[in-house]
Amino acid sequence: MGPVELLHMSVFSQSFSPCGRFLAAGNNYGEIAVFSLSAALSPDASEGSQKPILNFTAHDGPVFTLLSTDTHLLSAGNGEIRAWSWAELIKKVSPINSRNTSTQVLTSLEIPEINAMIINPKDNSLVVGGGDNNIHIMDMETGIFKSVLKGHTDYIHCLCFKEREGEILSGGEDGAVRIWDSRTNRPVHCIEVFRYEVKQIRMRMPQFGKWISCLATDSDWMLCGGGPSLSLWHLRSMSPTSVFPLPGCQREAVFHQDLIMSVGEGPYVSHCLHGGTVKAQIPCTPSSLNTLALNLKNTEHRVMTVGGSSHQIDVFTNFSYRAFSLSF
Amino acid sequence: MSSDAVKKRKPKVIRNEAGTPETKRGRAEGEQDVLVYNEEVELEGRDPQQDYMLYKDTCAALAKLMAEIQELKSGGAKVGSVEMEERRRQCSVHFITLKKLNRMAHMRLKKGRDQTHEAKQRVDVLHLQLQNLLYEVMHLQKEISKCLEFKSQHEEIELVSEEEFFQEAPAEISRPHVTRDDHHQLTLARLDWELEQRKRLAEQYKMSLARKEKIHKAIEQKREYLSSLQPGLQSIMQASLPVQECLSMPFEQMQKQAEVARHLPPPLYVLLVQAAAYGQACDKTLSASISGDVDEAKALSRPPEDSQDDESDSDAEEEQQNTKRRRATVGVQLDDKRKEMLRRHPLSLCVDLKCKDGSVLHLFFYYLLNLNILTVKTKVSTTTDLSGAVSAGELLNSESLLNCLYASDHGQETPNPTNRYQFDKVGITTFVDYVSDLGHPYVWVQKLGGLQFSSDGAQVCVLMGNALSASHMERTMKLLQGRLQARLALHKQFSSLEHSIIPVSGECQHLFPAKVVSGLTRWTMMSYQEFTVRFFQSGNTLSNRGIENQCLKVWFLPVCCVRRICSSWRLWREEQSEVNVFRAELQGPRPGLQLLTNQIQRLCVCLDVYLEMESQVCDGSEGPKEFPREKMCLRTARGPSRLKPFKYNHPQGFFSHR
Repeated sequence: MGPVELLHMSVFSQSFSPCGRFLAAGNNYGEIAVFSLSAALSPDASEGSQKPILNFTAHDGPVFTLLSTDTHLLSAGNGEIRAWSWAELIKKVSPINSRNTSTQVLTSLEIPEINAMIINPKDNSLVVGGGDNNIHIMDMETGIFKSVLKGHTDYIHCLCFKEREGEILSGGEDGAVRIWDSRTNRPVHCIEVFRYEVKQIRMRMPQFGKWISCLATDSDWMLCGGGPSLSLWHLRSMSPTSVFPLPGCQREAVFHQDLIMSVGEGPYVSHCLHGGTVKAQIPCTPSSLNTLALNLKNTEHRVMTVGGSSHQIDVFTNFSYRAFSLSF
Repeated sequence: MSSDAVKKRKPKVIRNEAGTPETKRGRAEGEQDVLVYNEEVELEGRDPQQDYMLYKDTCAALAKLMAEIQELKSGGAKVGSVEMEERRRQCSVHFITLKKLNRMAHMRLKKGRDQTHEAKQRVDVLHLQLQNLLYEVMHLQKEISKCLEFKSQHEEIELVSEEEFFQEAPAEISRPHVTRDDHHQLTLARLDWELEQRKRLAEQYKMSLARKEKIHKAIEQKREYLSSLQPGLQSIMQASLPVQECLSMPFEQMQKQAEVARHLPPPLYVLLVQAAAYGQACDKTLSASISGDVDEAKALSRPPEDSQDDESDSDAEEEQQNTKRRRATVGVQLDDKRKEMLRRHPLSLCVDLKCKDGSVLHLFFYYLLNLNILTVKTKVSTTTDLSGAVSAGELLNSESLLNCLYASDHGQETPNPTNRYQFDKVGITTFVDYVSDLGHPYVWVQKLGGLQFSSDGAQVCVLMGNALSASHMERTMKLLQGRLQARLALHKQFSSLEHSIIPVSGECQHLFPAKVVSGLTRWTMMSYQEFTVRFFQSGNTLSNRGIENQCLKVWFLPVCCVRRICSSWRLWREEQSEVNVFRAELQGPRPGLQLLTNQIQRLCVCLDVYLEMESQVCDGSEGPKEFPREKMCLRTARGPSRLKPFKYNHPQGFFSHR
């Protein structure tokens, strides 16, 4: 990994281990690095503890999404999903993937990428959305693809799952957020976000486009953003309640207690309130961010990590400031 | 009063006190019947004791008379009565007696004094005589001792011992019958013998001297004869040169070089031997030669004892002179010490590397005596004139031509760790200041000269000297040639880029689509400081179709081949990585000198793609819709960062994502 390659590295995905003591991150060269949070957060941490304990090439294309189950780490690359055992990863053994599945390919010239994966805990299935404009649902135990949800006209950026109703939300390049019922596999709603406006503030930011790249739900509420500004929606009435005046396109947003935290273009993490105000913008190292992850499983290592267009992943122990950076 | 009366009474009596007759009053000498009263004669007859008694009596009588007079006066007698007159007369007689006695006393005294005086005088004379005699005695004694101490010169002459003398000397000199008894004669004889011998030896010496002169002359003659042969030999050598060239066996040249090479310092010698060997064996384009002052080199290697003595004397003199004339300041002394420390060996090595197109890289190697390192200076001579490109001025600059030939070998600091201590003594802080003067001390130069310093990297190299040099020679030469070729190619490319032409060679055309709309408008130079300060301002610019608000500014950092792109509205990471990270594809045919131009071309292609795709995605408010979609691609965006399709596939001619 020469200095030029390091300069042009982007971190696209992160995932915490089931015990909460390790972080796995995937970059655009197809590598996955496993970091030890307990070593990095311990009082006698050094430069070496901010380096990965394990770094291996998982795919030949970029790793756009990572997902952790109770035992395994799932990574998705160019049209294929691989599963790695967390136990092996923790032991710093370069693992052999235990399972390898691939989606059906639409054209033979280009293999579609997989941009988002979520788990439907109700029927233990993996929902995958990617470059072929469709959502695929795979059964985790058997590894067979159960169904395909078609409806988007352009590739899918992000997926989200509403626990209570059992609904899947998907946002895509075509600017539409579609809500699907996971049991019947049928579309329930389709919102074209870019057409709406809140209190005379148009959500649409025309110079960026209409694509939706982040989705998050918190029972009744939904966050969506991307080309249009980040906006908070009330799902039952299917109407937007507030628009957040953030300058760049947002790539990922999460609900956390009373705050909404989102990352996107711009070297900061934005803390926003439900009312539509931006409370704080915390600066960080990468010049634009792709992914934000909160480690809520482990109370000792309750951190927030963000990664983006840099080889460094910023760690926030107190969400108000950057503590240190892990680097690839 | 009574004395006056007494004096008047005897005026005519001539007194004769001195014993000699005097004629004071002018009396004629005829009057022989004058009474001569010689009191002195009378004096001798009188007894002093009697005189004394007389005196006492007289005094008593006088006293008695006085008393009687007194009585009479007090008795009321008249002055001038007969008794008083009688008594007065008696008193006067007594007075006369007293006066005579006084005279007597005086005369006695005088006589006594005279006698004493005379006796003294006699004693003095005798004393004087005694002194004279004593002085003479002393003088004579001194003379005697002087005579006794006299050493005659003859004692300094080393004489042969007596036995030898008697044995060797002929009889008429030694004369034993005389000399055995008489020491003086013996010594004389010995001296004679000595003289004889010396005369003989002097004769011999003269003869030997004459012989030596003759032999000297003979030697001189022979020498002249030999030196007269020398020009003859030279002319023969000259005449044989064409023969040597014809047979391509440059013996003479090699001999000359070998002769000079004997005076090279060891590292340069190793370098010369290895370079010459390599040139002969592997690479005919390499040639090595020695230049510099051979005499100075010989002077350096002269044996140290002679020069030390001379130096110490001349130093002492010089110092005295210096302190008399002027005091050298501390700074000047330090300067001199520095110059001495940084002194170069008078001989230097010149290695020429020729390239295929005729340009030559000249490398001049120098050896710094006190620091024990080698340095190198470079010069490039090309067949064509290279003055066209302004921005390429720095490319063939000899200061930076050989920078980083091996990784992190900048040649700014000396690789020898002992130099640090030497520099501290003379106050040199860094070697960088002297590099432009003395040349660059690259690490590979030291290795080629067989010098190994312990700070060279982690691995412990066991090779030394020749082996070390040989192990690095081939690789270094290849790197040097590669560097020169690369720089020359770059120079050419720069000069064509300045004219806004991107020279893409024929072999690389397949990397790019046929139609590339974006082009180069301006190519200028910028210093690194300007770059860091004015990051978002002018630099090498690229624009497409000449529309002002679509200008991109691109920076080319010469060392690590990274292109940074900044546009007026956002940072283009993906385009950068397309150009930089995947540059391996753009290397072109070996030796991969097309990298820069291909990267620029690819940048233009990326710009085309970006503008076309972007205008499709947004609703026309970003750029004018006059970028119609001309490129073929399957998808315009991919992945969460919405990458554009930058990869060009040949020969199908469509764009895809990586």
